Amino acid sequence: MKYFQNFIITALVIASSFTTNAQSGSYNGFTNDETVLYTMNKQVGQFVKRFNMEEDQFGKDLSKTDKRYHSSELRENLLPGMFDKYNPRTSGTLKTYFVDDVTKTDNPVFLNFLDKNWYAEVSATFTANGDEVNIILYLTLEEENLGSKWIISNVWYSYFPRLFPTPDSTDQSRYFLHPMSHELDFMNLHKALERPERIQYYASNEYRPDFLTLFFYQTKIGQLKFKQINDVKFHFFQIPNWYFELSYFNRNDTNSGWLISNLKYINDDEKKELIKTYNLCTSKE
Amino acid sequence: MRQLFKNPTRIFMIFLVATIALGGTTACKSKKKLAAEQAAAAFEAKVTKAKKDLNAIINGTSDMTLDEQRKRVAQIKGYNINDPEIDKLISMAEKEIDFQQAEFDRKAEEERLRKEEEARRRAAQSEYAVIDNKFRDIAESKSMDAANAQIGLTLQQFASPDVPVLIIISQSGSMNDYDRPTTAEKFLNYLKDVKAYKYTVETVKRDSLGKITEIELLKK
Amino acid sequence: MKNIAYILIMVIGFGTTSLFSQDDLSPERKQAIDSLALEKVRDLSKYVSIIGNKETQWSEANRVIDRAEELFMQGSEIGVSSLVRTEINYYDIRNYFERLMRLNYNKVEIEWYNIEYVSDLQRQPDGTYVGVITIFQKFKGYDKEGRLVYQDTTKKDITVYVKRKETQIGGRLIGFWDVLLGDIRVKETTM
Repeated sequence: MKYFQNFIITALVIASSFTTNAQSGSYNGFTNDETVLYTMNKQVGQFVKRFNMEEDQFGKDLSKTDKRYHSSELRENLLPGMFDKYNPRTSGTLKTYFVDDVTKTDNPVFLNFLDKNWYAEVSATFTANGDEVNIILYLTLEEENLGSKWIISNVWYSYFPRLFPTPDSTDQSRYFLHPMSHELDFMNLHKALERPERIQYYASNEYRPDFLTLFFYQTKIGQLKFKQINDVKFHFFQIPNWYFELSYFNRNDTNSGWLISNLKYINDDEKKELIKTYNLCTSKE
Repeated sequence: MRQLFKNPTRIFMIFLVATIALGGTTACKSKKKLAAEQAAAAFEAKVTKAKKDLNAIINGTSDMTLDEQRKRVAQIKGYNINDPEIDKLISMAEKEIDFQQAEFDRKAEEERLRKEEEARRRAAQSEYAVIDNKFRDIAESKSMDAANAQIGLTLQQFASPDVPVLIIISQSGSMNDYDRPTTAEKFLNYLKDVKAYKYTVETVKRDSLGKITEIELLKK
Repeated sequence: MKNIAYILIMVIGFGTTSLFSQDDLSPERKQAIDSLALEKVRDLSKYVSIIGNKETQWSEANRVIDRAEELFMQGSEIGVSSLVRTEINYYDIRNYFERLMRLNYNKVEIEWYNIEYVSDLQRQPDGTYVGVITIFQKFKGYDKEGRLVYQDTTKKDITVYVKRKETQIGGRLIGFWDVLLGDIRVKETTM
């Protein structure tokens, strides 16, 4: 952490000698404001580059032959400054283990902006029949033709799970169409169709509702209307045994911008379960 | 002194004078024999000198200019010395002179072109500097009105306000990367708006009236 | 807007690797594009000063609005939020400038912090490169008496589209980088 600040302060001292070449109206010398702006992870991409140690203190790319590039030693010093220091989960010993893990000289872990398995979470307000509701949209990067794009990978709206509560297995086992129903022209089907709260019991045991389709449907028929975006954060699953969350902190100190706001030590199975939240259950893992 | 030796006729004359003067000291020999001996010695000396000069030409160690070398070879040829060695040397010397002449002509042409290009570059530079200054004046105008007046004047130098202005943003080898092409009028107004001129004129094309029809700028 | 060929050795949980291939641009060309993009951002802020200045004649202001609009990809928007109003207000580019022209400041000053951050260029499906330039600016509005009546400090995340194009000029094929600005997210900062 101390290193992180030193890193930035050195940058500022050097930067201040270059201020004359800046455009008119720029600040000569540096102020406390600028220290904050320098330390801030200004873009998610900058967080990634600092995490990997791929840019210098001025935010300029390091050449791959530069000895600082991917340096484990520098990363070890730099990484602790990239956590929300006001959150006990991201400021304690767990983070030390995390930093040790990703900076191992024999097996370091780097992030790639274009990796799979990191997701954006957009919290937004919609109106549903006149009432404001909060809906979370999950997005992920998808390759297409010459480049890539963010796609909506899933949605979370508290109303949907209520429509499809976790099935009670004894309850579910009582409702089915017996195997000879076909001989009776499925005359018993009305029992299923007239009890919509249990209608899903008549589907396959493998059936999982697709919330994204429900969301699109409700938006299309005008039941849901977009109002505004409230918050954006990111979930990273690329690092073996670790999950972390990245949030933006708009605050006037050197611990600001995009910082790790949650950190969990989890195994791959737990991780797969978590990812189901972010990625549509029916889509490929 | 050097000049003296450069002229083969002069050398020959000196040689003759010297021979005659030297001959005067041997008065005891019979006049006829003496004359024959003198002629033989003179011929021998002429041949020796011819060989020496031809070899110097062939080896490139001659002090004579190419013109003088050519004359000297013609002179030796005119002696009609019936000697295969001399004939061979003459042929070799002539080839060497031709080669040297070609080399000399090539260098001279290169030098002429270089000077011409330099002169053109200087002329262009001063011409471009004039344009650079006009552009800078617009950017540094004290007021919007002053800038507009400058723009009006400068636009008169262009064939039309829509003349393309190309801005080179980077050069690698012979390849230029450009910004989106703009027009003279837009560019001049741009200079007024941003109040800075960060370019140098790289090339200018003009029509028969001397008006600019295309201009290429290099971003500094 | 940096390493286009951005290859990292990934050791990750589910055996995934980087999905995307990127075209290669030499560091020199890339740097020239970066600085061209930054220049467009600076031009924009100069236009904003001219438009916001009450002394600017109406016709000049309109001409500058046209020029400012030309910097942008069609349909671009400016999304503004403040500390007290976190909801994003959207303006289309033309409206934003016209609103600025109508604001009752006698003079507008825009100060740049010496910090700008230029992202890598990523390609979108049609091959166009997209990057984001982050700048920090202090906006100051003065009234007729020269009093500071409004100021804020904002973080501006500016979308930049870069596309390689060719055009015929004087019988010559000119390859150029078409740099256009896109959506701008303006977020007030705490200082």
